[in-house]
Amino acid sequence: MELMVNGTPRATASSPVTPLLTVLRDELSVTSVKPGCEQGGCGSCTVWVDGEPRRACLLPVGTLEGARVTTVEGLGTPRDLAALQAAFNDRYAAQCGYCTSGMLMAAQALIDRTGGGPVTREQVIEALSGHVCRCTGYVKILDAVIAAANGEYEGHHGVEFEGDASQPEVEPKGAPA
Amino acid sequence: MKAVGAKLPRYDGIAHITGRTAFVDDVKAPGMLQARALRSPHHHAAIRNLDTRRAEQLPGVRAIVTHRDVPHNIYGHLEALGVPADEPLLAEDVVRWRGQPVAAVAAEDVDTAMEALQLIDVEYEERPALFDIRLALEPDAPEIHEWGPVFPHFGPHNHRRVRKGDIEWAMDAADTIVSGVYRPQAIEHVPLETQAALVIPEPDGRLTVYSCTQAMYFSLGVVAAHLKLPLNRIKFIGGTVGGGFGGKVDTASETIAAVLALKAQRPVKWRWTREEEFLVSSTRAPWHIEIEDAVSSDGWILGRRMVTLHDSGAYARFSPYGLTKHAFHHTGAYTIPNLKFDGFVVFTNRVPTTAMRGFGVTSVSMAVETHITRVADVLGLDPWEIRLKNANRVGDTTGNLVAMQDPSTVPVTLATADAVGKELPAQFRAMTSERRSGDLLPAHLVAQQAPEGAHVLKRAGALDAAPGNGGGR
Amino acid sequence: MAKHTGRGFATIEYPTGMNQNGDPSQAWIKLKPDGRVDVFSGTVDIGQGSKTVHTQIVADALGVPYDWVTMDNSNTDSSAVCTGTFASRGTFIGGNAVRYAAERVRERVLDIASKELEIDPGDLEIADGEVVAKGAPDRKISVSEVAGAATYAYGELISGQGTALKPLAEVNDDDGSVTEEPHSAISYAACVADVVVDDETGEVEVTRMVSVYDVGRAINPLLVEGQIEGGAMMGLGLGLLEECYPHYPSVEHRGEQFGSYLAPTIEKLPELQNVILENPSVDGPFGAKAIGEMANNAQPPAIIAAIHDAVGVWVTEMPASPERVLRAIKAKAQPRQEGKRVIFDEELSLRTVTSNGGAGFLDRP
Repeated sequence: MELMVNGTPRATASSPVTPLLTVLRDELSVTSVKPGCEQGGCGSCTVWVDGEPRRACLLPVGTLEGARVTTVEGLGTPRDLAALQAAFNDRYAAQCGYCTSGMLMAAQALIDRTGGGPVTREQVIEALSGHVCRCTGYVKILDAVIAAANGEYEGHHGVEFEGDASQPEVEPKGAPA
Repeated sequence: MKAVGAKLPRYDGIAHITGRTAFVDDVKAPGMLQARALRSPHHHAAIRNLDTRRAEQLPGVRAIVTHRDVPHNIYGHLEALGVPADEPLLAEDVVRWRGQPVAAVAAEDVDTAMEALQLIDVEYEERPALFDIRLALEPDAPEIHEWGPVFPHFGPHNHRRVRKGDIEWAMDAADTIVSGVYRPQAIEHVPLETQAALVIPEPDGRLTVYSCTQAMYFSLGVVAAHLKLPLNRIKFIGGTVGGGFGGKVDTASETIAAVLALKAQRPVKWRWTREEEFLVSSTRAPWHIEIEDAVSSDGWILGRRMVTLHDSGAYARFSPYGLTKHAFHHTGAYTIPNLKFDGFVVFTNRVPTTAMRGFGVTSVSMAVETHITRVADVLGLDPWEIRLKNANRVGDTTGNLVAMQDPSTVPVTLATADAVGKELPAQFRAMTSERRSGDLLPAHLVAQQAPEGAHVLKRAGALDAAPGNGGGR
Repeated sequence: MAKHTGRGFATIEYPTGMNQNGDPSQAWIKLKPDGRVDVFSGTVDIGQGSKTVHTQIVADALGVPYDWVTMDNSNTDSSAVCTGTFASRGTFIGGNAVRYAAERVRERVLDIASKELEIDPGDLEIADGEVVAKGAPDRKISVSEVAGAATYAYGELISGQGTALKPLAEVNDDDGSVTEEPHSAISYAACVADVVVDDETGEVEVTRMVSVYDVGRAINPLLVEGQIEGGAMMGLGLGLLEECYPHYPSVEHRGEQFGSYLAPTIEKLPELQNVILENPSVDGPFGAKAIGEMANNAQPPAIIAAIHDAVGVWVTEMPASPERVLRAIKAKAQPRQEGKRVIFDEELSLRTVTSNGGAGFLDRP
């Protein structure tokens, strides 16, 4: 069967009862989606299915013929981050990084469904209430989501690598002519 | 621009927030097999028979290992610290906790591996189990460990001891003796990344081990010792871990995966399930702590008698180290001149306990901080003032006779009072960490005070004095 | 039925480094021909941010921009020994290893620069990737040029290595005394917890925690906050929510999934107020001490004291679950007085539960 993953049609040969989590990670090498518990209890496998946040560990792929799946890889890239990703990076909302993908997908979904404007602390808490983080104590995750929804990270965000700009070459001394 | 103290991007930040950080389970190798472990269903049992032949016949099974496949099965993680080996990698003739690994399978897929586990024949003969550390010395307590009920290798003793000053003087001189019992519990580390290892046998005979360890060379040493290999025959790859909190030092997956990979001559991935993390991964230890503080009516802690039982579970692992650290810090942030501490590492038939954030001292903090609040309550004193009075100061010595160079009990406590608007009388507000003198140096604290500039108090000076060296009050 | 507020606090201390020492960390550094810095550290980053902290330390110890430094802790072929990321040793001991290595590299850079500039190394300093004569800022050479000169003119690989190791402090088994300090430093902290206790359900809600930490030096303040905040929630879980053995000492009815094992979720997050004090260590990198582990130690006793302040009961079997709080409220246990003795929790004691008054445990000479 076939499903769309981050805008690209992908075929899967896995049996229909295989969880989407396993198909994404093992067959399609989309590894941002993390196997935190495979019980639906931690949120680290959260992806969007047709725009809605879902637990990939609980979804048999056979129910997803033709579905549009979005993962963190579809949110942004290192040179072109989503505003929410830039907020997470700037505010140190990720420590070990293992819960981060799920947090991003749930938080971005909240921002999108509330019209892209500011969100309240209570709204963020509700959206992330099923996500477990053991490292951060949630404070900086909360701050980052609120800041991003407030528009503090609008505009282009991404790593500028040194090779992007012209650099004066260093003349090696004593190099053969 | 200075980097220290500055707000800079996290080194690994971009990778984390784009989902590109490669954790162990994100790595795949061609021809990779999946591993599962057969675990004891019993808390305590002899193994009468272990037969893997039926499982070996299952199509898709590429290797099954038992203790017979491990070159050096019983290796002590802390032999260098005087803790002899007691724990097998794979069980030999006995299992001592429910979940202890007995055999492991590497197969083409997880379902086959799990089916193979069902086909391994093990004959157990159950034995009685012990779960309550307080009952470990009862005459009818089940025998669990070949060393006896408690770890016996604290030098010639079966307990970690601290003896300082004259505890009998303190108990006699006290206006009140307050005693209490504290039982902090076992909890799980709950890293979001479960235990995982990928071991690849290389063409040149080396092993590449993708590991989630918190301690690369420590775990390298553990695997090398079990396999009887020099350190350069194994390459550990890791350094970026999805949460550890002390639970990823035990090297719980790498060695078994390596033994499987060697036997199958194919890469082996072993990712623990969350159920395994919750049920069979090592935990923070449960503790049982009994404190008796000899106190004066004006709030001096003259002496402390403390007995600690540390629930090690079925094997020693790092428990003797954790208990020793507990002993070294059992006075908390305060200076107590007369001490009698005895700590025991007690074996039970539960999952072996291990380090977790604060190892050994978390239990101290829970017990002694609750106790000093209780003491203040009993004496009718302010809990801030009693702490400031007894606080560590420069030149005060610990229970181990270490002279404090730069303690911060006083500034931290005063800063906290500020932060919450707690009013304190002027004499407490003015307190500092400087060497005790005047009212802050009553007779009973003189003997424990180290000379200026000393780093430790010589043992003779502190302990050989006649009874009552705590002095009058 | 009523809700009662209460406040409690705790002051704690915690050692930096493995107890009794003897735990080395080693690092080595080489410069690329353009002066960029390759660091090989063995310290594992478990999320606490050691890779970032070590990069900061090297950048300042050497005098180059932060983004010139590459940190490789990825494997045991190229990295040397770091005993491990535990015992709160990553910043102090691991950080000292990279700092010593960076200081050796700095010496080599100054030596070559002094030859190029014909100025004594003692009169040179390095900042932002430039070697500059003190007091004569126009006399300078970039670290890039120095590295190029080393590679192609002087025949030197600019490198340095460092080991941080405090020797093992032996302990006397009879009395616990030591002859040397058994730690690298000691950090101190305090926590005030405000709670609301429901006397009908036993539920305890933590509404605010104020945490004060003396960390010596906050190499990266956001990472320090991350430890305070993560530790606060882990301490809250330890105090109120989590237990492997709900019927301890029995091993039955263990929680095997999220929902039956109660790791704290975001809904439990109280108001957190953090204060970082810097009382520098003598020989930590830039005065740093440690925070990683102690971050979850002060909360349980602060919460226990707050519960007592709220409803007058002491809960000393942990966690202070609703069931335990309710039982304590119902029992209204008072300590037994015997002469000048005030005896709490007798029913839990070895004296009571053993057949022999705790002999073997309570009576060691």
